This record gives sequence, structure tokens and C-alpha cells, in this order.
Amino acid sequence: MTAQVSQRQWFNDIIEQGQQAMHSADLPCLNETRKHARQAIQQLAIPSRKQEAWRYSDLDKLFKQTYRVQDEPFTALEKGDIDSWVYSEEESYRLVFVNGDSVPHLSNIHNLPDGVIIGSLRAVLSTDMTLAAKWLGQNVWQQQDVFSELNHALANDGLFIHVPENVRVDKPIEVAYVNLSLEQNVLAQPHSLVVLETGAQAKLVERFISTGDSEYFFNGVTELSLGSNATLQHYRLQDESMNARHLSRLVLQQDTASEYHGVNLATGGAWSRTDIYTRFAGQHASCHLDGLYTVGAQQYSDFHLDVQHSVPNCRSRENFRGIIYGKGRAVFDGRILVEKDAQKTDAQLSNKNLLLTSDAEVDTKPQLEIYADDVKCSHGTTVGKIDPNQIFYLRSRGIAEHEARKMLCLGFAEEILAQVDDADVHDFIQAQVAALFSGQEGVL
Amino acid sequence: MLTITDLHATVDGKPILNGLNLQVNAGEVHAIMGPNGSGKSTLAHILSGREGYQVTQGSVVYKDADLLALDIEARAHQGVFLAMQYPVELPGVNNMTFLRESVNSVRRARGEDELDAVSFIQRVREKAELVELPDKLLKRNVNSGFSGGEKKRNEILQMALLEPTLAILDETDSGLDIDAMRVVANGVNALRSPEHAMIVVTHYQRLLDYVVPDFVHVLANGRIIRSGDKSLAHELEEKGYGWVIEEAAA
Repeated sequence: MTAQVSQRQWFNDIIEQGQQAMHSADLPCLNETRKHARQAIQQLAIPSRKQEAWRYSDLDKLFKQTYRVQDEPFTALEKGDIDSWVYSEEESYRLVFVNGDSVPHLSNIHNLPDGVIIGSLRAVLSTDMTLAAKWLGQNVWQQQDVFSELNHALANDGLFIHVPENVRVDKPIEVAYVNLSLEQNVLAQPHSLVVLETGAQAKLVERFISTGDSEYFFNGVTELSLGSNATLQHYRLQDESMNARHLSRLVLQQDTASEYHGVNLATGGAWSRTDIYTRFAGQHASCHLDGLYTVGAQQYSDFHLDVQHSVPNCRSRENFRGIIYGKGRAVFDGRILVEKDAQKTDAQLSNKNLLLTSDAEVDTKPQLEIYADDVKCSHGTTVGKIDPNQIFYLRSRGIAEHEARKMLCLGFAEEILAQVDDADVHDFIQAQVAALFSGQEGVL
Repeated sequence: MLTITDLHATVDGKPILNGLNLQVNAGEVHAIMGPNGSGKSTLAHILSGREGYQVTQGSVVYKDADLLALDIEARAHQGVFLAMQYPVELPGVNNMTFLRESVNSVRRARGEDELDAVSFIQRVREKAELVELPDKLLKRNVNSGFSGGEKKRNEILQMALLEPTLAILDETDSGLDIDAMRVVANGVNALRSPEHAMIVVTHYQRLLDYVVPDFVHVLANGRIIRSGDKSLAHELEEKGYGWVIEEAAA
């Protein structure tokens, strides 16, 4: 068997098992989507390092492992099993997904503002399929590949948020995607849909976490749609087990004068990749993507950004930083496409990396593709070490060398954290990164 | 307190210090003057433990122990402080956090209790007032976007907080206007006491009008070629370094 054939079989095995595990009558409205996806998987190329988008992503270990869709929704988890939250239960709307399925008894979405829906996609599709179905899959056309189709082929649940016109969600929404494997390595595949209608506003924190050192494959797809003048603050915090494999696809569509600010933190996972696609559907919209990744030990961490300016007068900012140590490997691939009609585009992309050890590695690839002639665009990338003059300065003030290095790493991260407007999120991330570095005195 | 004997040092194999002798006792302020390239900054850096210098001969005894055997941070714990000529910027590192970590690191090393947040802030405010460093600069990142004068005042603030027994000021006056220099000098003078000693490295005499030294030494070609009291500084200001170097060569 050639590698392509055996890898396609890997997908087909998962789908076969997944279909049996899912209740056959479950959400029949998705049957057509699932069927299309199953067919697409037979046709699409299997990612390999020969393809530019997968050049640095080693999938061999993934394809060697067997993953299974969980037979029953997970109900054994208790509230106390999730020990940290960004917000208290009173000051937020809270949702929990375990292995991709919503777990109502851990969630708290009472007293929502009029017309706002926050909940499980499965629950929404079960009662009224017209609203969600209108949006589902509308945005993913441009990034079709076997993994997104695998997600569609077994689409079953995920986050659903719908905020009607001119409504502001009064409290932040905190979503925890908890993943755990017991006897078998689990495949978790939430398909999430976030729709903000004209003038709507919301703040969403999505957290990707594990229990213990679970080994699993998370293959999530999130579709975001911002109507005219809508505003979304979106924090995505991935802090999964060091045995986890995490693939996230985020597809963002922005209408006129909408504003999106996304902050992406990736600290966990043996292998983690996030692809973000942004498309402007109307003028004067603004998209601001920030990111911080820490990559140590044998970790692999990857961000792919694809920002498409197809209409005039939009603004985009991408600002990502990485701290890589041990034998960590990081990849950053950021592309800004400015199409012919997208005059007066204002786009900036920056990626800065700190390599702390000689075994650490980063491949960074910023790309500007410009077909319009009246634009303001820039991109830059740096890879550096900690400045020995800075270490000397701190040590000469009595601060031990390992502490000095830690302070400088946190300082490097802080330049991204300073962009986090929400104080609770800022402090949560800062504490998480500080705790991460505290255990790393020998390797930082 | 500090005894430097026959100190020889090289940078990348090039001799910079060639048999330097200096005795500093508690309570004394010593000015080290000399032309560019005479080894003034090298001396300051070697005392603080900066890497990149090879001591090839001689000894530095501080508080009856071998100073050169101590790590950089251990020297700070023992009360050695270098106010730098070019303080580095530390992006993303909050000044207040840095100052507190510095003070508490030194206190921990000395077996003293850490200062709690409230008493620390009180102390910083008090010392910041002394060097006229605005509150907003305490909240900014260390030296980031500070003017030359603000960086130097931040150095003196650190010195005031750490109360070193041996403070070394490396061209602290460079780049300061007269008002800034007066402020910096006030901060330095506040630390003068029978227990504290200082080495003031400077190219010009004018700082010494404000921080009046007990001894003035002329450093040339890596050696102290003449020592005197504060009147020597005035003489150098008037006549330059040429005559001292010539006399020393004769």
C-alpha cells in the first residue's frame, strides 16, 4: 500500500467507526453535509510535506495512531474537575464541551439578553434548524481539505452563538473544550458557529484544555461571521496535554465596518496547528490578530494565517510572538493577500521569535501578495536570542540568572499580552505563562 | 573595603588595564578620571562582573574576600552596585516589578524578609521623589522610551533602593544637562555616609562640583598615574590630561 492509500484508509476507518458511534438518526439535517464530506475525502489530496501548506507539519505520528469517536456523550465530569476559569460563574456565560460534545450540566447560560442564543449546535439544530443551517458551512468553502471534511463528515455538535441586530451580550462568554481519553485515544471534532448580526457585540473566550496527560486528536472547525458594525473580542487559549494533537480551523468573514480582535495563545500539545482565514466582505472593516506561542521539549506548534483583502479600505494587523526552547519546533506562516480592487488597504504583519536553546527551531514565512496599487502594507519577522546585556543588567541588580531569563521571556510575551484589553484574560494568560516558565529553570 | 592590587586585564587579547592599584575605604568617594580609552569603564565593568574581560594578573579584595570569584548577582548581594553608562531597555518588563524583584532578591540573599507590596511602594515613592522620577515612569517598562536623563535617574533610583556599600558610577554625568546632573548628584549625595563608599568614573570635572570627591585619580593606559584631592580635578579641567601623562612618562 502506498502512503496515500493507507492514509486515506485512516480517514475512512475513522468515518466508519464514527458513523456507527453516532446515532444514525442524529441531526438528519446534516446528512447531506456529511455525505458530501465523505465523498470529498476520497478526492482531496492527503496533506504531505510536498505541499507548501504542510511543508513543516509532520503528520506521520498522527496517521500511525488510531483515534475513535466516543460512543456516548461524556457525563461523568464534575464541575470541580475544571479547576480554573477566567471568569467567575456569575460574571460570565459558561459552556463546557467534552471531547467535542456539549455537556449541559457543566454549563451556565441562564438569563441571556433577549434574542441571544448561546448553546450547543446540536441542541439548536434539533429544535430549529433554519437559523443555524443558514450559516453552517457558508464560510468554509475556501479552505476545504481532508481535515475540515473529516470534521464535516462526522459533524454532530459544537458551539453555537447568535447575537441579533444591535444587541450587546452583557457578559463575556467562556467556553471550555475539555478533552480526555480513557481506554481509547479520542477524536474530538466540535464544529462551532458564531454569528453576530449588524451592530451586535460580544466577548468570547474559548479554552482548549485536557484532563491529565490524555492523548487524543482535536480537529475543530469554527466559523465566525460578523455583520456590519459588529464587534467581537475573541480569545483562544490552547493549554492542552503534552500528548495532545490539536488542529483548529478558524474561518472569519467580516462585513462593512465590523471589528474583530482575536488573541491566540498556544502553550500545550505535542503537536498543535491553528489555521486562521479572514475575508473582508465589506469596506472599512478591521481585523486584528495577535498570538503568542511557547514551544518547548519535543513540542511542535504552528500558526497559519491567511488574510484576504478583497474589498477597499479595510485594515488588518497580525502580531505574533513565539518563545521556543528545548527541542521545540515552531512554524509561522502569515499571508496577506490584497486583491486588485482592495485599494487603500492598511495591512501589517509581524512575527518575532525568541530562541532560547540551540536545539530550538522556528520556520517563519511572512508573505505579502499585493495586486492593488494604492495600499499601505508591511511585514516583518525576527528570530533572536535573549540579549546578554539585558541578562547582565538584571543580574547586576541581584536577580539570579534563571530568574532574569524568565523575566525577559515574560517581558517578550507581555508585548503581546499588552494588547489584551480584558484584565481578567490578561492576568489569566500571564499567570499561565509564568507558571509554565517557573518549572523550566534548566531549559529556558 | 576595596583593595585592587596590580590589576591587569585584557579584552579580546588586547591589554586594557596594566597594573592598576586602588584602595577604597568605607565612607570615601573616589573619582576616577582619564582620557577616552584609558580603561575607566573597563575597571567599572570588571568590578561588577561583566563578561568579556580577562583578568590576567592581580587581585580585587572586597570586604576581605576575592570579589572576582563572585557571580554577578552575588556581588550585588554583597553590596556592589554599578550605575551604568548605557542602561539597557527591557521591553515588556514593568519597572515597578523589576525594582521589587531586585530589592527582594538582594534581601532574600541576605536572609532578610521580602518587602510586602505596600511598604515597597512607599519606599519607591520616597526614593523616586529624591531623584525626581515621575510616577508614570515607574509604571512603564524598564528604561523603554526613557530619555537619557530619565535612564540615569532610574539608575540612581535603583541605587537609592539597594543602598549599596560600594557604588560605582560609570559616566553617570554623560549626556545630562545641568539640571538633570544636579538631580542625579542629590541622589548620589543622599547615599554618602561613613558606611558607604563610591567610585565615580567621569570624563569631566563638572559632576565633581556636585559630588565632591575625597580623592581624584588619573587613569591612563590602564594605570593610575596620579592621585590627589579635588583640586586635581580642577587642574585637569583647566589644563587637560596631556601634562599628567607627560609627567608620568618622564
